Formats: sequence, C-alpha cells, structure tokens
Amino acid sequence: MTLHFTPVWFIAVPLLLAFLAPLWVRWRLLMPVLFSAQVALFVLALSWLPTVRIAPILETIVIAPPLGIHLHLDAIALLLVALFSFAGAIVSAFIWLDNGAAHLRERPAFILMLLLIAGSNGMVLTGDIFNLYVFIEIVGVSAYALAAIRRDKTALEAGLKYVIVGSVAAIFILFAIVLLYLQTGQLNIAALAQAFGNMPAQMQLLIGLLMLIGLSIKAELFPFNFWVPDIYRGSDPEITALYSGVLVKAFLFVLFHLTFILLADPTVARNWLMALGAITMIVAELVALRQNDLRRMLAYSSLGQVGLITLALAFASEATTAGALFHMVNHTLIKVLLFLLAALMLRQYASLKLTDVHGLSRTMPLAAGLFVLGALAVLGLPPFSGFISKLWILKGFADVQTFWPVALILTAALIEAGYYFRWIRVFYAPTDALPMAKIEGEKTLNYAPLLVIAGLLIVLGVAPFLLEDWLQQAAQALLGREALLNAVLGVQP
Amino acid sequence: MLEVLELFDRPAVLHSIYLIGSLILFFIGLYGLLAKRHLLKIFVSIEIMELAVYLILIAIATTPGETAPILSDGFTAFTSMSDPIPQALTLTAIVIGVAVTALGTSMAIQYHRLTGKVSVGEMTELKD
Amino acid sequence: MSRRLPLRKRFRVHTLLLIALCGWLLMLHLTLLLNHGLDAPSNGVGDLYLARNSETASANAVTTVVVSYRGFDTLGEVTVLFLAATGIGMLFAGGLGATPALRDRNNHPNEVMVTGTRLLFPALLLLGVYIVLHGHLSPGGGFQGGVIVATAFFLRMIADPKFNLDHAQLGWVESFAGSGFVLFGMLGLVFVTTASFLGNFLPHPVAAMGQLVSAGVIPLIYLLVGIKVGAEIGAIFQDMLEADHDTPVSARAAEEL
Repeated sequence: MTLHFTPVWFIAVPLLLAFLAPLWVRWRLLMPVLFSAQVALFVLALSWLPTVRIAPILETIVIAPPLGIHLHLDAIALLLVALFSFAGAIVSAFIWLDNGAAHLRERPAFILMLLLIAGSNGMVLTGDIFNLYVFIEIVGVSAYALAAIRRDKTALEAGLKYVIVGSVAAIFILFAIVLLYLQTGQLNIAALAQAFGNMPAQMQLLIGLLMLIGLSIKAELFPFNFWVPDIYRGSDPEITALYSGVLVKAFLFVLFHLTFILLADPTVARNWLMALGAITMIVAELVALRQNDLRRMLAYSSLGQVGLITLALAFASEATTAGALFHMVNHTLIKVLLFLLAALMLRQYASLKLTDVHGLSRTMPLAAGLFVLGALAVLGLPPFSGFISKLWILKGFADVQTFWPVALILTAALIEAGYYFRWIRVFYAPTDALPMAKIEGEKTLNYAPLLVIAGLLIVLGVAPFLLEDWLQQAAQALLGREALLNAVLGVQP
Repeated sequence: MLEVLELFDRPAVLHSIYLIGSLILFFIGLYGLLAKRHLLKIFVSIEIMELAVYLILIAIATTPGETAPILSDGFTAFTSMSDPIPQALTLTAIVIGVAVTALGTSMAIQYHRLTGKVSVGEMTELKD
Repeated sequence: MSRRLPLRKRFRVHTLLLIALCGWLLMLHLTLLLNHGLDAPSNGVGDLYLARNSETASANAVTTVVVSYRGFDTLGEVTVLFLAATGIGMLFAGGLGATPALRDRNNHPNEVMVTGTRLLFPALLLLGVYIVLHGHLSPGGGFQGGVIVATAFFLRMIADPKFNLDHAQLGWVESFAGSGFVLFGMLGLVFVTTASFLGNFLPHPVAAMGQLVSAGVIPLIYLLVGIKVGAEIGAIFQDMLEADHDTPVSARAAEEL
C-alpha cells in the first residue's frame, strides 16, 4: 500500500475538506483550514515543478484514456493551479485576518470559496470534455452563490444576473458537447481532436460557435460581457478578487486550450479571436474612463486586461503566448491586490464613488500607496512585473512584423493611464477635512497579504527569469497539439 | 397502415422527428429567455432549453430496437444494447440543471421578499 | 373580441422580431442537423464500455458508467448539488430583518393528505431504499432512490406541520456520505491493484454478476450517493418550506406571473 501524490489531490483534497465542513465548524477551524489547504496545494504544485518540467503527468481515473477520464498535469496546468492556489491563499488570509465581513467567514462561504478554487483547478487539469462541463458547473454554482452571499438587495441582484447569464452560457457549452459526442462518439479531448477534422465543415462551425458563445460569456469577452460590471459592483470585493483572479483565467485557459487542441490549424480561429480580444480591450478601456465607482472601474479595467490576454494568446506564437501567460499571472496578482484594497476602502468609506473618496490618502496612506503601486503595475511601468509581461507581448508581435496589435495595446495603456491617474489624483487631492477616524478593526495586519503581493510584483519585475523557463514551457504545452495527442493517445490500457 | 408504422421504425425517420421536436423546444426556450421579463419565466425558459439538449442527446444516441443496457430478463451479453454513456451523461446533467435552477429560484424568492420586484427589467440597484 | 385593438398594439414589433430570429435560428439548426446529425455515434466509446462492462460485474451498464468509468463526473455532480444546497441554506438562513417565518400551524392539511401520507410514507421509503440498493442490478440508483426518499420526507413535512428535519443532523449525514465517497476514491488510489482514484479495489468476481453483493465498490458508492442526495434534497425542501409564508407581495407576484 502506497500513497501516491497525484494530480487528483488538487481536486479530491478540497472536496474532502468541504464535505467535512461540519467538523471544522464544530472545532472553529474554518478559516485556518481554508487558508492552509490553499497553501498546502500551492506548495504541492511547486514541489512538482521539476517532475513536470521533464514530462507531463497523466493521471488515469479508473480506465485509461481515450475511454476514461484523465487528468493532465503539464507545465501550463501546473502554472495555473499554482496561481489559483496562491490567489486563494491570499484572499483567504485576508478574510481570516480581517475583522469585518462576518458572512465571509461562515460555513457557506468556506465551502463555496474552497470549491470555487477546486473547480478551477479541475477545469485546467481535466482531459475529458464532459468532466470539463461538470467542473464548469461546480465553479459556476459556487460563483453564483458567492455573488449573493451578502444577501442584501445588491448582492441578490448580482447573484440573479449571474445565475441567469451563467446558466445560459452553460447550456450553449452543453449543447456543443452533446453535438460533439453525437458526431464522434468520443468524450476525451485528445480523441475528439483527432476526430474533429473529419466532421462536416458546417458542423464544425456550429459546434465552434456554440462553444465560443458559451465560453466567451464565461470568460467575459465582448460582446458577451455586458453583465460583468454589475456583478463586480454588487458582490463583495473579496469575492470579485476571486472572479477576476481565478475564474476568468480558468475560462480563458479552457477557451484557448480547446481552440488549440481541437483545430488542427488554429490560424482559422486566430483572426476571430484576436478581433474579439482587441474589441474587448478597447471598448472596456474606453468605458472605464467614464466610471465613477471604483468597483465598476476595476471591473472594466479587468475586462480590458482580459482582452489584452486574449489578443496575445490568439496570435498563437510562442513569444506572445508566453507573454500572455505572464500577464495572466500578473493580472491575477494585481487585481487581487486592487480588489482587496477596495474591500478595505469600502469598509472605511461605505461608498466608493469618485466624489466620496477625496483625500483618501490621508486616512489610509498605506492603502493609497498600494493602489498606486497596483496601478503602475497594471499600466506596465518598470520596475513592476506588468512591464515585463507587456514587453514580452509587444516584442512577440513586433518580431513577426505585426504592428496593429502593438499600436492597440499602447493606446489601451494610454487610456488606462488616464483613468488610473484620475483616481490617484482624487486619492491624493488636498482636502481641508481632517482625516477620518479609523473604523474599528482596522489593523496593519490586514495589509500583510497585500504586502506579499506587492513584494511579488516587484520581485517578478526585477527578476523575471525566475519564471521565464516555466512560462516558455507552459506556452509550448498550450500550443503543442501533437505532443499532447501523443502523450494521451500513445498510452494504451 | 402498417407500412406507415414501419416507416417510423427506421432510425432516420424516428431521429428526424425527435430532432425536430427537441429543436423546436430549444428555440421556444430561447424565445422565452429573450422575450420574457419575469424571473420565474426566465428560469422556466432556461429549463426548457436544457431539457431540449438532453432530449437531443438521448434520442439520437439510441437506435430503435436496442434494449436498455442492463442484464436481466434473460439477456446474458451486452450486445445490441443502447449506448450507456448518453444516459449517464444525461443523469449527471439533469442533477446539475436541477441544482442550478433550485439555487436561481431561491435567489429570486429572496430577492422578491426583499424588494417586491419580480422582473429583470426592474433590477436597477446596480446601475449608477 | 368585442374591443378591436389596432394591429400594432396586439403584436408588438419587438415580439415579432424575436419570433423571427428564433425561427430563423431553428431553421438553420434543423437543416444542418437533419443533414449531418442523424446517425447515432458508431464505434464510439459507448460500445467499448459495453464490451468491457462485464469486467466490473455490474449488471447495469449505466451504473457502471456513472459510478465507475465516469465516477469522477458523479463526484462532481454530487458536489454541484452540495453547493446548491449550501447556497440555498445560506439564502434562507435566519435573519434578513424578519425572523424566519414559521410555517403556519393553524393551516392544517386536509384529512386525505394526512391519511394518504401515512399510507405512502413507508412504501415510498422502502421503494427509495430498494432503488438505491439495486442500482447495479436494475434501473435506478443513488440519485433516483435518494430523491424518492427525500420526497417521502417532503410528504411528511407537508402533511404534518410539526414535522421538521433537523438541519444539523442532515449536515452530519451529508458530510459522512460525501467524505465517504472521496475516501473510497482515495482508497482506490492507495491499493496497488487498482492504483487509480475511484478504482474498484474490492473483489468483484464476474460469476456473481446479478447478485445483490457484487460489483465491488459500485453499490457501496451508490449507497453513499443515495444518502447524500437524499440528505441534500431533504435539506432543500426543508429550507424552502421554512421560507414559505404568505405576504401580500407574493400574491402580487403570482398575479404578474
């Protein structure tokens, strides 16, 4: 009898911990368990790095692929799992140290947050398309419930909107999966990839469109992202940090993973997806200029970055893909930082309208400082890691003489600078009013997780070579259709 | 008369009928989703669309003449039985659909209790 | 129709446009699917499952797929239900300004209901348990049986306003069943003979196929699924009943519907 460490642990352990929730309630251990689970999974992911570097791990469940479900841990899956666990650890540490939001430290929130991250891990690990649907629903249901967890009018409205839009997206995805099964008789993604080219062209188009609509709704791409700002505005900022940092990244990965695997020639979809990304980016950045609520502004800014990542991933060259993956990591870190800051500010100010936060820097100097840091990182200024990732993306485009995305990305960065500095100016505006009294429970300890992120942003900006090899391998894994097909289908039971 | 009935036993004819029916259901659901504003009607529409997808899966994957994939009543081998996968998938999908709808309706009930509103058109809390 | 409305008031343009859009999409899908999508998948994984099914010694191939070959999906599915039950419990938990509305004790259910429930309750319970336990032999299984058991309790709740399921106890039952499922999966990982999550590590001789004790872990896992589904659906029913109280607003909602 031996106990193997396998990729199943990334899913099975959180599930077990969530099912055992009554125990943690009785022992008053909810938050420690949530936090240490994420930290443990993060450490586990890092400890696997040397193994995965050599060859991806293929974990068979019950019956070998292409018959059964399998989990596929390659460089990109490992990168995302590590990223999700890290973001989860930061957010749970923040909630644990925080004295405010009690509803986020109860049993439902514990279960929902744990399984949101476990579901995202499942989405990037699974190699079976119906299993993917199940994980999409796990992530979906926990996200819907988390949106409404505050149970007041705004939260319920956000939750309702999310449920409706999310389940419609899920239906489109399910329809595409059903058609795929009826056409090919396969459910394993690698086996589907082999059979996909033999389907009638119109059928491929229909399945592709259904999948694209479903996943674009979930991954917040234009024009299917009309619902996003409302939900980011209505939910707790701690939760939206998870949406923007974890959920969207998982769906982006699924979108591009399926595109690169199913299509033998991804250039068919390249122009479509690049256009989608570019429009998402420009429209979101322009709308963000006009936002007078911090959370809406951050939501649109998040959409803009998602557009940028889509634009770079869709180009399907190794250089831009590596840059886009690095930007994914950075964006997760930055948005977690900014949304958690918004949570702290919301506690102090009750409203985050532009007119209500004048002179915030005098009341919360550390928060304002960290906001500036996050804004500079998202704009892509040195020495922050956002600079390096944007540089890689731009370089990737410029190396192959494609200049229109470069121009668009730079324009978007300019617009971004416009609205971030508008907010920073308001934060540092001189006011006659005395600094507000600190509300009860505000501690410097609250900032500890945020300072960790800030440190990481600088470290990755100064020393990007720490991640460079990993990101290169991740990009190769995402683009390497042949390698994946060989790895999965070469192994016979 | 009998020839007409036999016609219906041909997989292509039977599958066409199932397909037409379920697709009509799907688009009735889509129409409801786009046209109706009442929260519960929206959830009903979503359910109809979902059921249409399950129907397509089950109906087309089963050819007339196949039996349920269960060994009983004298069957001794798993031959000429219908494909078990669509049935398993549908079982899974139904449970998931029920869960999502239950959550959605609960939110609608709670939202209505708090605000007295029942229509998505009246949801304005989040607009600035 | 005594009153004649102008045509444009009877049919709004908006509605007509939507109908046209949906109809057009329907035609598009129909032409596509009728031309290409009519054949059942041949030589897909389903046939291979059927061919290999006897090795699991479960007489019901659907159950084999649900619990063993695609057991990971089922674990996820149970999780989705668990999440929804958690979410609903969270939504309807006490608070919200008013105290949780107690069910109206004066509103007695009628005699037919009460007597009928007394008659049906044991039968339903028995049927549910039977369906769960025979999941690997006959149609049905943990989900179906679990829902029937929950329905039996739901009938009790409607017929007897004083009958309540204890949420805390349900939580423990659910927790036991859910973690049991995961632990079974991990045991499959631990044993060298299977070395795979959810592997069938108990002996499952093919000769025993069709008997109640056969197919190794499959009936055990399905039993746990049944318990979990029953507890979760029961909890959802209980939550919704507690939430049910008459206010003038809900009458208005019914009218608008």
